[in-house]
Amino acid sequence: MAKRDTSRDIDQAASQWTARLDRGPLTAEEEAGLQAWLGGDPRAKGALLRARALSMMSESAQALGEGFDPVAFEAIVAPPPGRSRRQALLWAGGATAAAALAALGVGVATAGTVVRTRRGEIRLTPLEDGSSVLLNTDSRIRIRYDRGERRVALLEGEAYFSVARDDDRPFVVEVDGRRLTTSQAGFRVRRLDRAPVEVLVNQGRVDVAGGKPGLALAANSRMALSGPAAGRPQRLAPETVTRELAWRDGKLAFEGEPLGEAAAAFARYSDTTIEVRDPVLAREPVTGLFAANDPVGFSRAVARVFDARIEVERHGVVLTRAPAS
Amino acid sequence: MSDADRERTRWFLRTILPHEPALRGWLSRAAPSGMDPEDVIQEAYTILAELETVEGIRHPKAYLFQVARSVIMRHVRRARIVSIHAVDDLERLDHPDDDASPEQRTIDRDELRQLARAIAAMPLKTREAFVLRRVRGLPQREIAARMRISENTIETHISRGVLFLIDWFGRGGNRRSQTSKYAEPEIAPRDGETRHQSRH
Repeated sequence: MAKRDTSRDIDQAASQWTARLDRGPLTAEEEAGLQAWLGGDPRAKGALLRARALSMMSESAQALGEGFDPVAFEAIVAPPPGRSRRQALLWAGGATAAAALAALGVGVATAGTVVRTRRGEIRLTPLEDGSSVLLNTDSRIRIRYDRGERRVALLEGEAYFSVARDDDRPFVVEVDGRRLTTSQAGFRVRRLDRAPVEVLVNQGRVDVAGGKPGLALAANSRMALSGPAAGRPQRLAPETVTRELAWRDGKLAFEGEPLGEAAAAFARYSDTTIEVRDPVLAREPVTGLFAANDPVGFSRAVARVFDARIEVERHGVVLTRAPAS
Repeated sequence: MSDADRERTRWFLRTILPHEPALRGWLSRAAPSGMDPEDVIQEAYTILAELETVEGIRHPKAYLFQVARSVIMRHVRRARIVSIHAVDDLERLDHPDDDASPEQRTIDRDELRQLARAIAAMPLKTREAFVLRRVRGLPQREIAARMRISENTIETHISRGVLFLIDWFGRGGNRRSQTSKYAEPEIAPRDGETRHQSRH
């Protein structure tokens, strides 16, 4: 009897097929090879599913941005045991540390470090306590940690906070004169022009103070802190939360939003504008997941679906109804 | 990947994979001796891959454990050498501890950060290829041209990167003791340029 493959062999083969599929379409011969492999062992399909899932997950690495430097990242997030991060930065050498700061926008946690992103940029900022902030496009925060509180002010834009548990030292996000407090949570706070200030809780619990009365927001809920609907928590379906947070993977998700609104969403991420000239077209509902930094690709997809005409001009894209033929 | 495939893969990534460390822990206690937990996990995933639809699954963790249990039972029946007693034990292990959901446990482990760490820990050339592919989104062909190695070698590096992630994330994230075994030689001989490979 042939020696049975180990689970490790199977994982190895699954990884190889995943890489092969990532490279491009299979030839007929390769396709037959893949099917033969899948049929040859009851573990193969499952191993391939896992390998492809992790490969899919790694697509979100794009959110790390062009400036991502794994060497610098390693120096920052994995200080050798027994050293503080500050020491680790010194230890890693001035040049590496500077590169790390530039690449990641991490200030050694002194009072009032400001981190900002340009248009189209998404930036992950690890904090000294193991928490992190993911900054969306065109955003700005100020980090101010002290012994009693982990405080971050959202000055403008949108940020996702992943808060590491610390019952003795609350994590506080200040926005628009309000304080959002938690000991452990994953939540998004948004402060955009011409829109209500809003908090959305993905995991854990966030206490909202500074209004009347104080409120606790649970996972899968959101609340406006300004505007007509302010102060009323709203429950959300998990799918809605996923969609709202798609920007963390560099994506924009729509489900039935009018095209005009979707086009406006892209404007936050890029200087390339999408102009929808036809009012009827602008009301067409859009559904799908799109790369936030590719307004032209989005417009092409839309044009195909709605049979619209697309003109790519210098500063943007113009969508019009194709003349009836 | 077809849309249906992609959808199933996404579902698996979001709702099943986070439970893998818990499943592995349970299997290492519950699986009869001679049965490798890793084999059971892969076979359970195969069953999930072959499901017509996953829409009805409301409690993915419980479901995953149930599927893993059915895999064990199947092997036990086929082997016919396990005593009734062992089977009885299995029955009693029907309800794996349903402690905190993985969402709660991984709350401070931002996925992206984990990913950045995992990538940072990859072997040099593999890391370079993986960064170009996943962070910059270049196709494998272009990466080959940039790194001046063959497309086949790039494919091998990407596959090593995926295997690395399987280990990294499957074993509950960042276990540094695990990384030592990746200190295997690079595929291409080192050429002295690799030290500066991460800056372009």
